[in-house]
Amino acid sequence: MSRGRLAEIGRVVLLVVIAVALQTLIVSRVSVLGVTADLFLTLTVVSAISRGPLYGAVFGFAAGVVADIAYMEPLGVRALIYVLMGYMVGSLVHRFATVNLWGVFLMAACASFLAQLAYGLFQYATGPRAGFFGMLATQVLPETVLDALITVPVYVLLIRLRVVPAPQAETAAAGTGPE
Amino acid sequence: MPRNNVAWRRFIFVILIIASLALLTVTFREASSGPVHSIQQAGASILAPLQTWGAKIAEPFQDGYQWFKTLWSAHRRAERLEEELQTLKGEAIKLEETVEEYKRLQGLLDLRDKGVYPDGTDFTVADVIAKSPSRWSSWVLIDKGTADGVRTGLPVVGATPMTGETLAGKGLVGKVTEVTATTAKVQLIIDSDSAVNAKIQGNRAEGIVEGSISGDLTMDYVERDIAVDPKLVIVTSGYGPIYPADIPIGIVASVGEEDVNIYKEIEVQAFVDFRVLEEVMVLILPEEEP
Repeated sequence: MSRGRLAEIGRVVLLVVIAVALQTLIVSRVSVLGVTADLFLTLTVVSAISRGPLYGAVFGFAAGVVADIAYMEPLGVRALIYVLMGYMVGSLVHRFATVNLWGVFLMAACASFLAQLAYGLFQYATGPRAGFFGMLATQVLPETVLDALITVPVYVLLIRLRVVPAPQAETAAAGTGPE
Repeated sequence: MPRNNVAWRRFIFVILIIASLALLTVTFREASSGPVHSIQQAGASILAPLQTWGAKIAEPFQDGYQWFKTLWSAHRRAERLEEELQTLKGEAIKLEETVEEYKRLQGLLDLRDKGVYPDGTDFTVADVIAKSPSRWSSWVLIDKGTADGVRTGLPVVGATPMTGETLAGKGLVGKVTEVTATTAKVQLIIDSDSAVNAKIQGNRAEGIVEGSISGDLTMDYVERDIAVDPKLVIVTSGYGPIYPADIPIGIVASVGEEDVNIYKEIEVQAFVDFRVLEEVMVLILPEEEP
Protein backbone atom coordinates (compact mmCIF):
# COMPACT_ATOMS: atom_id res chain seq x y z
CA MET A 1 0.00 0.00 0.00
CA SER A 2 1.40 3.39 -1.02
CA ARG A 3 2.12 6.17 1.48
CA GLY A 4 -0.58 8.32 -0.12
CA ARG A 5 -3.18 5.64 0.39
CA LEU A 6 -2.09 5.18 4.00
CA ALA A 7 -2.33 8.93 4.55
CA GLU A 8 -5.86 8.93 3.18
CA ILE A 9 -6.85 6.08 5.50
CA GLY A 10 -5.24 8.01 8.33
CA ARG A 11 -7.33 11.05 7.48
CA VAL A 12 -10.48 8.95 7.44
CA VAL A 13 -9.62 7.52 10.85
CA LEU A 14 -8.74 10.98 12.19
CA LEU A 15 -11.99 12.46 10.95
CA VAL A 16 -13.99 9.59 12.40
CA VAL A 17 -12.29 10.06 15.76
CA ILE A 18 -12.98 13.78 15.60
CA ALA A 19 -16.59 13.05 14.70
CA VAL A 20 -17.00 10.63 17.59
CA ALA A 21 -15.41 13.01 20.05
CA LEU A 22 -17.36 16.07 18.98
CA GLN A 23 -20.64 14.21 18.59
CA THR A 24 -20.48 12.55 21.99
CA LEU A 25 -18.85 15.42 23.85
CA ILE A 26 -20.69 18.41 22.45
CA VAL A 27 -23.10 18.04 19.59
CA SER A 28 -25.38 15.37 21.04
CA ARG A 29 -25.81 17.51 24.16
CA VAL A 30 -26.91 20.64 22.38
CA SER A 31 -30.54 20.54 21.38
CA VAL A 32 -31.84 23.11 18.92
CA LEU A 33 -35.53 23.10 18.02
CA GLY A 34 -35.76 19.81 19.88
CA VAL A 35 -33.22 18.00 17.71
CA THR A 36 -29.47 17.51 17.72
CA ALA A 37 -27.17 17.75 14.73
CA ASP A 38 -25.70 14.59 13.21
CA LEU A 39 -21.99 15.28 12.92
CA PHE A 40 -21.30 11.85 11.42
CA LEU A 41 -23.52 12.69 8.50
CA THR A 42 -22.13 16.22 8.31
CA LEU A 43 -18.58 14.95 8.02
CA THR A 44 -19.64 12.32 5.52
CA VAL A 45 -21.11 15.07 3.33
CA VAL A 46 -18.01 17.25 3.75
CA SER A 47 -15.74 14.34 2.85
CA ALA A 48 -17.81 13.48 -0.18
CA ILE A 49 -17.88 17.07 -1.41
CA SER A 50 -14.16 17.61 -0.98
CA ARG A 51 -12.84 14.22 -2.08
CA GLY A 52 -15.46 12.54 -4.17
CA PRO A 53 -17.91 9.65 -4.01
CA LEU A 54 -15.52 6.85 -3.12
CA TYR A 55 -13.98 8.70 -0.23
CA GLY A 56 -17.46 9.81 0.86
CA ALA A 57 -18.77 6.25 0.77
CA VAL A 58 -15.79 4.84 2.68
CA PHE A 59 -15.98 7.58 5.27
CA GLY A 60 -19.74 7.12 5.49
CA PHE A 61 -19.32 3.42 6.13
CA ALA A 62 -16.72 3.96 8.84
CA ALA A 63 -18.69 6.78 10.45
CA GLY A 64 -21.90 4.76 10.25
CA VAL A 65 -20.37 1.72 11.94
CA VAL A 66 -18.97 3.90 14.72
CA ALA A 67 -22.31 5.71 15.06
CA ASP A 68 -24.14 2.40 15.32
CA ILE A 69 -21.73 1.31 18.03
CA ALA A 70 -21.93 4.63 19.88
CA TYR A 71 -25.72 4.73 19.75
CA MET A 72 -26.08 0.99 20.43
CA GLU A 73 -28.19 0.50 17.38
CA PRO A 74 -28.28 -2.48 15.00
CA LEU A 75 -24.88 -2.52 13.36
CA GLY A 76 -25.05 -1.59 9.69
CA VAL A 77 -28.09 0.70 9.64
CA ARG A 78 -26.32 4.02 9.71
CA ALA A 79 -23.39 2.50 7.83
CA LEU A 80 -25.70 1.67 4.93
CA ILE A 81 -27.39 5.07 5.01
CA TYR A 82 -24.15 7.05 5.23
CA VAL A 83 -22.55 5.00 2.45
CA LEU A 84 -25.48 5.88 0.21
CA MET A 85 -25.37 9.55 1.22
CA GLY A 86 -21.60 9.83 0.82
CA TYR A 87 -21.67 8.25 -2.59
CA MET A 88 -24.66 10.28 -3.72
CA VAL A 89 -23.21 13.63 -2.63
CA GLY A 90 -19.79 12.81 -4.08
CA SER A 91 -21.34 11.80 -7.38
CA LEU A 92 -23.38 15.00 -7.50
CA VAL A 93 -20.29 17.12 -6.96
CA HIS A 94 -18.53 15.23 -9.72
CA ARG A 95 -21.45 15.59 -12.07
CA PHE A 96 -22.31 19.26 -11.46
CA ALA A 97 -19.10 20.57 -9.93
CA THR A 98 -21.21 22.57 -7.46
CA VAL A 99 -18.80 23.32 -4.68
CA ASN A 100 -19.83 26.77 -3.51
CA LEU A 101 -21.26 27.22 -0.02
CA TRP A 102 -24.86 27.29 -1.18
CA GLY A 103 -24.20 23.99 -2.92
CA VAL A 104 -22.76 22.60 0.30
CA PHE A 105 -25.80 23.80 2.19
CA LEU A 106 -28.25 22.30 -0.28
CA MET A 107 -26.43 18.99 -0.56
CA ALA A 108 -26.19 18.70 3.21
CA ALA A 109 -29.89 19.45 3.51
CA CYS A 110 -30.79 16.85 0.85
CA ALA A 111 -28.50 14.26 2.42
CA SER A 112 -29.87 14.88 5.89
CA PHE A 113 -33.45 14.75 4.67
CA LEU A 114 -32.95 11.51 2.74
CA ALA A 115 -30.91 9.95 5.54
CA GLN A 116 -33.63 10.67 8.04
CA LEU A 117 -36.30 9.36 5.73
CA ALA A 118 -34.32 6.16 5.29
CA TYR A 119 -33.71 5.88 9.01
CA GLY A 120 -37.37 6.63 9.69
CA LEU A 121 -38.32 3.88 7.25
CA PHE A 122 -36.06 1.49 9.12
CA GLN A 123 -37.59 2.53 12.42
CA TYR A 124 -41.05 2.18 10.95
CA ALA A 125 -40.27 -1.36 9.85
CA THR A 126 -38.62 -2.51 13.05
CA GLY A 127 -39.41 -0.18 15.91
CA PRO A 128 -42.01 2.13 17.30
CA ARG A 129 -44.29 3.70 14.74
CA ALA A 130 -44.99 7.39 14.57
CA GLY A 131 -47.12 9.55 12.31
CA PHE A 132 -45.31 10.55 9.15
CA PHE A 133 -46.24 14.21 9.16
CA GLY A 134 -45.67 14.50 12.88
CA MET A 135 -42.14 13.17 12.54
CA LEU A 136 -41.61 15.31 9.47
CA ALA A 137 -42.45 18.44 11.41
CA THR A 138 -40.81 17.61 14.72
CA GLN A 139 -37.74 15.67 13.63
CA VAL A 140 -36.95 15.48 9.94
CA LEU A 141 -37.30 19.11 8.86
CA PRO A 142 -35.69 20.71 11.94
CA GLU A 143 -32.72 18.35 11.76
CA THR A 144 -32.45 18.88 8.02
CA VAL A 145 -32.08 22.61 8.60
CA LEU A 146 -29.74 22.14 11.55
CA ASP A 147 -27.48 19.68 9.72
CA ALA A 148 -27.32 21.94 6.70
CA LEU A 149 -26.48 24.95 8.87
CA ILE A 150 -23.78 23.00 10.71
CA THR A 151 -22.24 21.56 7.57
CA VAL A 152 -21.29 24.87 5.99
CA PRO A 153 -19.03 26.14 8.82
CA VAL A 154 -17.63 22.65 9.41
CA TYR A 155 -16.79 22.43 5.71
CA VAL A 156 -15.07 25.82 5.73
CA LEU A 157 -13.22 25.05 8.95
CA LEU A 158 -11.91 21.68 7.81
CA ILE A 159 -10.67 23.17 4.56
CA ARG A 160 -8.93 25.99 6.44
CA LEU A 161 -7.33 23.43 8.74
CA ARG A 162 -6.37 21.34 5.69
CA VAL A 163 -8.02 18.28 7.17
CA VAL A 164 -9.85 17.90 3.87
CA PRO A 165 -8.58 19.28 0.57
CA ALA A 166 -9.98 22.42 -0.99
CA PRO A 167 -12.72 21.84 -3.55
CA GLN A 168 -11.44 20.86 -6.95
CA ALA A 169 -14.22 21.99 -9.23
CA GLU A 170 -12.16 21.81 -12.37
CA THR A 171 -11.01 18.28 -11.84
CA ALA A 172 -14.45 17.28 -10.63
CA ALA A 173 -16.04 18.74 -13.72
CA ALA A 174 -13.51 16.90 -15.84
CA GLY A 175 -14.48 13.62 -14.21
CA THR A 176 -11.07 12.94 -12.73
CA GLY A 177 -11.87 12.97 -9.10
CA PRO A 178 -9.20 12.78 -6.46
CA GLU A 179 -9.93 9.24 -5.35
CA MET B 1 -10.49 -6.27 -10.18
CA PRO B 2 -11.73 -3.11 -11.96
CA ARG B 3 -9.11 -1.30 -13.96
CA ASN B 4 -10.42 2.28 -14.21
CA ASN B 5 -11.37 4.76 -11.52
CA VAL B 6 -15.12 4.76 -12.09
CA ALA B 7 -15.36 0.99 -12.08
CA TRP B 8 -13.17 0.84 -8.98
CA ARG B 9 -15.34 3.42 -7.30
CA ARG B 10 -18.49 1.51 -8.09
CA PHE B 11 -16.91 -1.73 -7.01
CA ILE B 12 -15.98 -0.33 -3.61
CA PHE B 13 -19.42 1.24 -3.28
CA VAL B 14 -21.11 -2.09 -3.93
CA ILE B 15 -18.76 -3.80 -1.50
CA LEU B 16 -19.63 -1.24 1.20
CA ILE B 17 -23.35 -1.67 0.56
CA ILE B 18 -23.00 -5.41 0.79
CA ALA B 19 -20.94 -5.05 3.95
CA SER B 20 -23.54 -2.83 5.52
CA LEU B 21 -26.36 -5.16 4.63
CA ALA B 22 -24.32 -8.09 5.86
CA LEU B 23 -23.68 -6.36 9.15
CA LEU B 24 -27.34 -5.53 9.44
CA THR B 25 -28.40 -9.04 8.61
CA VAL B 26 -25.93 -10.64 10.98
CA THR B 27 -26.94 -8.24 13.75
CA PHE B 28 -30.55 -9.27 13.42
CA ARG B 29 -29.90 -12.94 12.80
CA GLU B 30 -27.29 -13.82 15.35
CA ALA B 31 -27.85 -14.28 19.06
CA SER B 32 -27.04 -11.47 21.43
CA SER B 33 -23.86 -13.29 22.41
CA GLY B 34 -22.69 -13.55 18.78
CA PRO B 35 -19.46 -12.04 17.49
CA VAL B 36 -20.97 -8.93 15.89
CA HIS B 37 -22.85 -8.09 19.05
CA SER B 38 -19.70 -8.72 21.03
CA ILE B 39 -17.75 -6.36 18.80
CA GLN B 40 -20.47 -3.75 19.15
CA GLN B 41 -20.53 -4.13 22.92
CA ALA B 42 -16.76 -3.88 23.07
CA GLY B 43 -16.87 -0.74 20.95
CA ALA B 44 -19.59 0.71 23.10
CA SER B 45 -17.58 0.00 26.23
CA ILE B 46 -14.64 1.84 24.66
CA LEU B 47 -16.83 4.81 23.81
CA ALA B 48 -18.66 4.77 27.14
CA PRO B 49 -15.90 6.57 29.08
CA LEU B 50 -15.78 9.19 26.36
CA GLN B 51 -19.49 9.70 26.70
CA THR B 52 -19.18 9.82 30.48
CA TRP B 53 -16.44 12.41 30.27
CA GLY B 54 -18.52 14.26 27.75
CA ALA B 55 -21.40 14.32 30.16
CA LYS B 56 -19.18 15.59 32.97
CA ILE B 57 -17.55 18.23 30.81
CA ALA B 58 -20.81 19.32 29.31
CA GLU B 59 -22.73 19.37 32.58
CA PRO B 60 -21.70 22.85 33.76
CA PHE B 61 -22.27 24.26 30.29
CA GLN B 62 -25.64 22.55 30.10
CA ASP B 63 -26.49 23.81 33.56
CA GLY B 64 -25.44 27.30 32.53
CA TYR B 65 -27.47 27.06 29.35
CA GLN B 66 -30.47 25.79 31.29
CA TRP B 67 -30.00 28.57 33.81
CA PHE B 68 -30.00 31.21 31.10
CA LYS B 69 -32.90 29.50 29.37
CA THR B 70 -34.91 29.41 32.61
CA LEU B 71 -33.92 32.97 33.39
CA TRP B 72 -34.98 34.13 29.95
CA SER B 73 -38.20 32.16 30.22
CA ALA B 74 -38.89 33.65 33.64
CA HIS B 75 -38.11 37.10 32.28
CA ARG B 76 -40.53 36.62 29.40
CA ARG B 77 -43.14 35.25 31.77
CA ALA B 78 -42.68 38.18 34.12
CA GLU B 79 -43.09 40.59 31.20
CA ARG B 80 -46.24 38.81 30.10
CA LEU B 81 -47.65 38.79 33.62
CA GLU B 82 -46.77 42.48 33.99
CA GLU B 83 -48.71 43.23 30.81
CA GLU B 84 -51.65 41.20 32.06
CA LEU B 85 -51.45 42.97 35.41
CA GLN B 86 -51.50 46.37 33.73
CA THR B 87 -54.47 45.31 31.61
CA LEU B 88 -56.32 44.00 34.66
CA LYS B 89 -55.46 47.14 36.60
CA GLY B 90 -56.89 49.20 33.76
CA GLU B 91 -60.04 47.10 33.76
CA ALA B 92 -60.29 47.36 37.55
CA ILE B 93 -59.98 51.14 37.35
CA LYS B 94 -62.68 51.22 34.68
CA LEU B 95 -64.92 49.08 36.86
CA GLU B 96 -64.28 51.30 39.87
CA GLU B 97 -65.12 54.32 37.75
CA THR B 98 -68.31 52.64 36.63
CA VAL B 99 -69.25 51.83 40.22
CA GLU B 100 -68.53 55.39 41.32
CA GLU B 101 -70.58 56.75 38.43
CA TYR B 102 -73.37 54.38 39.31
CA LYS B 103 -73.31 55.59 42.91
CA ARG B 104 -73.39 59.21 41.82
CA LEU B 105 -76.25 58.60 39.43
CA GLN B 106 -78.03 56.64 42.11
CA GLY B 107 -77.62 59.67 44.38
CA LEU B 108 -79.17 61.88 41.73
CA LEU B 109 -82.04 59.45 41.39
CA ASP B 110 -82.52 59.56 45.18
CA LEU B 111 -82.67 63.33 45.01
CA ARG B 112 -85.23 63.13 42.25
CA ASP B 113 -87.37 60.46 43.87
CA LYS B 114 -87.23 61.62 47.50
CA GLY B 115 -87.40 65.34 46.93
CA VAL B 116 -90.62 67.33 46.82
CA TYR B 117 -90.61 69.54 43.77
CA PRO B 118 -93.26 71.66 42.14
CA ASP B 119 -95.64 69.86 39.86
CA GLY B 120 -94.37 69.59 36.30
CA THR B 121 -90.71 69.66 37.30
CA ASP B 122 -88.52 67.84 34.84
CA PHE B 123 -85.02 66.57 35.40
CA THR B 124 -81.99 66.37 33.17
CA VAL B 125 -78.66 64.85 34.13
CA ALA B 126 -75.57 66.56 32.83
CA ASP B 127 -71.86 65.93 32.94
CA VAL B 128 -69.54 68.53 34.33
CA ILE B 129 -67.20 69.45 31.48
CA ALA B 130 -65.27 72.31 33.02
CA LYS B 131 -64.69 74.02 36.33
CA SER B 132 -63.78 77.53 37.32
CA PRO B 133 -60.05 77.97 37.13
CA SER B 134 -59.72 80.17 40.24
CA ARG B 135 -61.27 80.77 43.59
CA TRP B 136 -62.51 84.20 42.59
CA SER B 137 -65.59 82.56 41.28
CA SER B 138 -66.95 79.08 41.71
CA TRP B 139 -68.82 77.57 38.82
CA VAL B 140 -68.99 74.52 36.63
CA LEU B 141 -69.81 74.12 32.99
CA ILE B 142 -72.25 71.34 32.10
CA ASP B 143 -72.96 69.66 28.79
CA LYS B 144 -76.65 70.48 28.63
CA GLY B 145 -78.14 73.70 27.29
CA THR B 146 -81.26 75.20 25.86
CA ALA B 147 -81.59 72.26 23.49
CA ASP B 148 -82.28 70.15 26.56
CA GLY B 149 -84.64 72.60 28.17
CA VAL B 150 -82.06 74.24 30.41
CA ARG B 151 -82.47 77.95 31.01
CA THR B 152 -81.01 80.49 33.36
CA GLY B 153 -82.19 80.56 36.93
CA LEU B 154 -82.83 76.83 37.24
CA PRO B 155 -81.60 75.07 40.36
CA VAL B 156 -79.03 72.34 40.06
CA VAL B 157 -78.48 69.47 42.44
CA GLY B 158 -75.72 66.94 42.56
CA ALA B 159 -74.39 63.82 44.17
CA THR B 160 -70.81 63.06 45.07
CA PRO B 161 -69.37 60.01 46.77
CA MET B 162 -69.36 60.62 50.50
CA THR B 163 -70.05 58.36 53.43
CA GLY B 164 -71.58 58.89 56.80
CA GLU B 165 -74.70 60.98 56.81
CA THR B 166 -77.83 59.74 55.08
CA LEU B 167 -77.93 62.73 52.87
CA ALA B 168 -74.19 62.97 52.53
CA GLY B 169 -73.07 63.63 49.02
CA LYS B 170 -76.49 64.64 47.77
CA GLY B 171 -77.68 68.17 47.76
CA LEU B 172 -77.88 71.59 46.23
CA VAL B 173 -75.15 72.55 43.81
CA GLY B 174 -76.22 75.96 42.58
CA LYS B 175 -78.13 77.62 39.81
CA VAL B 176 -77.78 78.09 36.07
CA THR B 177 -76.47 81.56 35.32
CA GLU B 178 -75.61 81.36 31.64
CA VAL B 179 -76.75 79.02 28.95
CA THR B 180 -76.01 78.18 25.32
CA ALA B 181 -77.66 75.64 23.09
CA THR B 182 -75.50 72.80 24.34
CA THR B 183 -73.84 74.02 27.54
CA ALA B 184 -74.72 75.87 30.68
CA LYS B 185 -72.76 77.61 33.39
CA VAL B 186 -73.78 76.78 36.92
CA GLN B 187 -72.91 79.12 39.76
CA LEU B 188 -72.09 77.00 42.80
CA ILE B 189 -73.53 77.82 46.20
CA ILE B 190 -69.98 78.26 47.51
CA ASP B 191 -69.45 81.13 45.06
CA SER B 192 -68.91 84.42 46.90
CA ASP B 193 -71.90 85.95 45.08
CA SER B 194 -74.24 83.10 45.91
CA ALA B 195 -77.05 83.49 48.41
CA VAL B 196 -79.64 80.80 49.09
CA ASN B 197 -82.67 81.18 51.30
CA ALA B 198 -82.41 78.33 53.78
CA LYS B 199 -83.83 76.94 56.97
CA ILE B 200 -82.58 74.63 59.65
CA GLN B 201 -84.54 71.46 60.08
CA GLY B 202 -85.56 70.87 63.67
CA ASN B 203 -85.99 74.43 64.84
CA ARG B 204 -87.25 76.09 61.67
CA ALA B 205 -84.70 78.87 61.97
CA GLU B 206 -84.34 80.70 58.71
CA GLY B 207 -81.49 82.56 57.13
CA ILE B 208 -79.35 82.86 54.06
CA VAL B 209 -76.58 80.48 53.11
CA GLU B 210 -73.73 82.38 51.50
CA GLY B 211 -70.57 81.33 49.73
CA SER B 212 -67.16 82.89 50.03
CA ILE B 213 -63.91 83.16 48.13
CA SER B 214 -62.39 80.61 50.46
CA GLY B 215 -65.08 78.13 49.43
CA ASP B 216 -66.64 77.97 52.88
CA LEU B 217 -70.38 78.20 53.42
CA THR B 218 -71.96 80.25 56.15
CA MET B 219 -75.55 80.71 57.20
CA ASP B 220 -76.36 84.29 58.11
CA TYR B 221 -79.34 86.15 59.47
CA VAL B 222 -80.28 83.53 62.06
CA GLU B 223 -81.53 85.22 65.20
CA ARG B 224 -79.28 84.81 68.24
CA ASP B 225 -82.12 83.74 70.50
CA ILE B 226 -82.81 80.65 68.45
CA ALA B 227 -80.97 77.59 69.66
CA VAL B 228 -78.98 75.94 66.89
CA ASP B 229 -77.20 72.70 67.49
CA PRO B 230 -74.42 71.32 65.33
CA LYS B 231 -75.27 68.49 62.94
CA LEU B 232 -78.68 69.88 62.15
CA VAL B 233 -79.60 69.70 58.53
CA ILE B 234 -79.99 72.85 56.48
CA VAL B 235 -82.32 72.84 53.49
CA THR B 236 -83.65 75.42 51.11
CA SER B 237 -86.58 77.37 52.48
CA GLY B 238 -88.35 77.85 49.18
CA TYR B 239 -88.48 81.60 49.43
CA GLY B 240 -87.46 83.40 46.32
CA PRO B 241 -87.92 82.56 42.68
CA ILE B 242 -85.11 80.07 42.19
CA TYR B 243 -84.84 77.25 44.69
CA PRO B 244 -87.82 75.09 45.64
CA ALA B 245 -88.16 74.17 49.28
CA ASP B 246 -86.49 71.31 51.11
CA ILE B 247 -83.50 70.72 48.88
CA PRO B 248 -80.71 69.63 51.24
CA ILE B 249 -77.75 71.99 51.42
CA GLY B 250 -75.61 70.74 54.26
CA ILE B 251 -75.30 70.45 58.02
CA VAL B 252 -74.45 72.88 60.76
CA ALA B 253 -70.74 72.49 61.32
CA SER B 254 -70.32 75.06 64.11
CA VAL B 255 -72.26 77.87 65.74
CA GLY B 256 -70.75 81.11 66.98
CA GLU B 257 -71.93 84.40 68.40
CA GLU B 258 -70.32 87.82 68.65
CA ASP B 259 -71.44 90.71 70.82
CA VAL B 260 -71.39 93.12 67.93
CA ASN B 261 -73.46 90.83 65.71
CA ILE B 262 -77.17 90.41 66.24
CA TYR B 263 -77.13 87.16 64.27
CA LYS B 264 -75.48 83.84 64.89
CA GLU B 265 -72.41 82.87 62.92
CA ILE B 266 -73.14 79.41 61.54
CA GLU B 267 -70.63 77.52 59.50
CA VAL B 268 -72.19 75.07 57.10
CA GLN B 269 -70.68 71.92 55.72
CA ALA B 270 -72.16 71.27 52.30
CA PHE B 271 -73.40 67.82 51.47
CA VAL B 272 -71.89 68.02 48.05
CA ASP B 273 -68.12 67.79 47.70
CA PHE B 274 -67.62 70.40 44.99
CA ARG B 275 -64.05 69.30 44.34
CA VAL B 276 -65.15 65.98 42.86
CA LEU B 277 -68.38 66.99 41.18
CA GLU B 278 -68.77 65.06 37.93
CA GLU B 279 -72.49 64.81 37.26
CA VAL B 280 -75.32 67.13 38.20
CA MET B 281 -79.04 67.19 37.73
CA VAL B 282 -80.81 70.30 36.54
CA LEU B 283 -84.29 70.76 37.94
CA ILE B 284 -86.26 72.06 35.01
CA LEU B 285 -89.03 73.83 36.82
CA PRO B 286 -92.18 74.74 34.95
CA GLU B 287 -91.98 78.23 33.57
CA GLU B 288 -94.12 80.74 35.40
CA GLU B 289 -96.92 82.38 33.52
CA PRO B 290 -96.04 85.95 32.56
